[in-house]
Amino acid sequence: MSDYIIEMKNITKKFKGIVANENINLSIKKGEIFAILGENGAGKSTLMSMLFGMNKPDEGEIYINGQPRDIKSPNDAYKLNIGMVHQHFKLVSEYTITENIVLGNEPMKKKFGLFPHVDLKEANQKVKELSQKYGLQVNPTDIIKNTTVSTMQRVEILKMLYKEAEILIFDEPTAVLTPQEIELLLEVIVNLKKSGKTIILITHKLDEVKKVANRCAILNKGKLIDIQEVANISTQDMARLMVAKEMSFNIYKPTIELGDIILDINNLCVKTNIDVVKNVSFKIHAGEIFSIAGVSGNGQVEIADAICGILPCKGSIKFNNIEISSLSVRERVNIGYIPEDRHKHGLILDFDISRNAVLRDYYKPQFCKDNIILKNEFVKFADSLISKYDIRCANGAKTNMRSMSGGNQQKVIIARETSRISKLVIFVQPTRGLDIGARQNIHNEILRLRAMGTAILLISLELDEIMQLSDTIGVIYNGEIQTIKEASQLSKEDVGEFMMGVHA
Amino acid sequence: MKKIKIPLISLGLSLITGIIVILLIGKNPLTAYQNLLQGSGLLPKPSYAGYKNMFTDFMVFLNTLTPMVFAALSVVVAFKAGLFNIGVSSQMLFAGFIATITIGYSPLNGFIAKPLVIIIGIMAGALLGALIGFLKYKFNINEVVSSIMLNYIVQYTTSFFINTKYIDVVSRQSKNISPDASLTLKNIEIAGLKIDIPLGFVVAIIVVIIIKIIINNTKFGYEIEAVGKNKEASTYAGINVGITLVKAMLLSGALAGLAGVTYYLGLNLSIQPRTLPTIGFDAIAVALFGNLSAIGSFIASFIITIITKGSAYMSSISKVPAEIASIIIALILVFSACGAYIKLKKGAK
Repeated sequence: MSDYIIEMKNITKKFKGIVANENINLSIKKGEIFAILGENGAGKSTLMSMLFGMNKPDEGEIYINGQPRDIKSPNDAYKLNIGMVHQHFKLVSEYTITENIVLGNEPMKKKFGLFPHVDLKEANQKVKELSQKYGLQVNPTDIIKNTTVSTMQRVEILKMLYKEAEILIFDEPTAVLTPQEIELLLEVIVNLKKSGKTIILITHKLDEVKKVANRCAILNKGKLIDIQEVANISTQDMARLMVAKEMSFNIYKPTIELGDIILDINNLCVKTNIDVVKNVSFKIHAGEIFSIAGVSGNGQVEIADAICGILPCKGSIKFNNIEISSLSVRERVNIGYIPEDRHKHGLILDFDISRNAVLRDYYKPQFCKDNIILKNEFVKFADSLISKYDIRCANGAKTNMRSMSGGNQQKVIIARETSRISKLVIFVQPTRGLDIGARQNIHNEILRLRAMGTAILLISLELDEIMQLSDTIGVIYNGEIQTIKEASQLSKEDVGEFMMGVHA
Repeated sequence: MKKIKIPLISLGLSLITGIIVILLIGKNPLTAYQNLLQGSGLLPKPSYAGYKNMFTDFMVFLNTLTPMVFAALSVVVAFKAGLFNIGVSSQMLFAGFIATITIGYSPLNGFIAKPLVIIIGIMAGALLGALIGFLKYKFNINEVVSSIMLNYIVQYTTSFFINTKYIDVVSRQSKNISPDASLTLKNIEIAGLKIDIPLGFVVAIIVVIIIKIIINNTKFGYEIEAVGKNKEASTYAGINVGITLVKAMLLSGALAGLAGVTYYLGLNLSIQPRTLPTIGFDAIAVALFGNLSAIGSFIASFIITIITKGSAYMSSISKVPAEIASIIIALILVFSACGAYIKLKKGAK
């Protein structure tokens, strides 16, 4: 009998040719809090989804309590006493807390010895006992939709405990919580550990790891970099290990004189459900590549949306010395914008190339006369983009967008947004999901624009990209800019620490 | 060619299934199908009543076809904007009712009354359509829900007014409109024949062309389609999504209004209280069958109307129940929907 409750051996998982996990070996002891650390896309969630039966490893084996197990579905995982608290809660909002917890495994009672029905009284009692035992305060009869996010999370945890889970996986549990709620949750996690449960914590927040975890595994680009006792490693070192160590080939970037200030942002605030962007200020000059580095979900996409008018904001946005913060999207359309999600925002997939090529310009006089669209001009323009940007497509301008590869789809967006003579182009995650060749093309295009004196705002989750291209780097954490410095004065490790909010 | 593949296959499969069903009830499918064409004035019948021949049958067929063309266009325009206008029927009824009580019962002469009927029909339908669009834009109320509710509201309010104010006690319908307001000239004697001349059909052909141009060649058409296919990308393109939805529903409602006046003040001359016209619902099938294009739904209306119009003659001559026609139409819808699904699946790959 091994003393490890979970052993994952040589686990490899690929999605459509992209390696999400490569040959990972991991052993977790019974009764410890084990953190899995990594940047976005490092493969943390994929690895745990295999433990929970949502994905199957391509190679490798999983041992639970020393036995090799084939976990085909979350139901199999429950049977092995593995439970997972997801980032997005899976609760019935019209049911009470108790009903949600006992759902699928209800205590039954027979009325007059005949008619079986759910014994809610007993269920409520059980839930109460559980909640007291682990310090998870809930009112069993509250309806889910009337409760707070942190209560829902506690309900999810209770659900696992009710199913007698011994291994609890938490997927980024603190992402949705306020600082006080985070404190409470961490206490709960420690309590759970004390009562003998094994906890796996998927996160990229280092201070939380430092506070509660016993050991941590650090993943980077699908590979296991290191497993350490948390007590023996500083948060700075953790941050360093998390950011990539890959050899980055240098690209030729001539020095150029900075021009006038093109974009001047002062005290920009964006509020969605929470304050996502808080008092952000920065300036971009002509011929400057300004990057915003940060872990996903720290407000960087909202900054781009606010500049282009898609999200309402407070504060001042000056473009060419003109205040634009109250203008409509259309009035700001001369700012080139390559959005983060090309399928959702950047393109209409069921239109052909020609109609996508004019998506933000179709109403302008060269494409539209007296409300009649000039389809021939659409096609001519699309053809010029296709040849100029080397877009590969089967039927020329009439090719349906959906049938094209991701790289060529992205090229269409970039061609459209950069062909317009614009003083500012915003790139959000321009190379996401693209292969090396396509990335290289896009990086060259960004540098070409810079050489022409265009101001560029680059928002990326990939530090390599930011380090290679930027003239100036701003690092964002939790909606606030942590630092703005010339790229030459920041090392990748520094940026990594700022991104995690742990820079000394 | 690619565009008409799915509709053709759907039609073929439906007709084949129809043959099997007719065989199962022990009738001859070929004569049954022949009867459908005869009943629609596309094939000569063995005998005719006085003043009638194949041509008069065909004019009656066109008269029946007209509201269907408008109703299908109404569905198409809404679909382009990604909306499901299941309220075509109530928009028809509302437009027909308003035109009936304002112009239908007025003493105006034909040259003034007929254009006014059309204009009032368009405005009444547009008003109701725009209301649905506005509710969606302002309060994010699903258009299907609000349309269905409006169906009931319009059905019962109009029926209240008809029953209390405009009822013909013999027919239990609203009183007939004056012939001057009718968009169909009834029983006109030409060359020894009594012919119905549906003026609305001429309007329908013009409107089909206008809608085709709007969808394919105008800025508005581009915006409608962009919004229908991807709202987020439309916002990013600077299109005002909400206003576009309202405008699309306004146009859709206007077309339903045209369907309403050609139905209640053309094909019929009165309104049956508490009844929604089934055309409004059939039009959804027709629009899908017509590949959601203007010309396509015109052709689809033509084919579907052959089946609905000819079914009465089929049942009286061959004793094949008229319900067979409904089965065939239902099958066309099922197969068209399957086709659309297959296309979507293929596209996603």
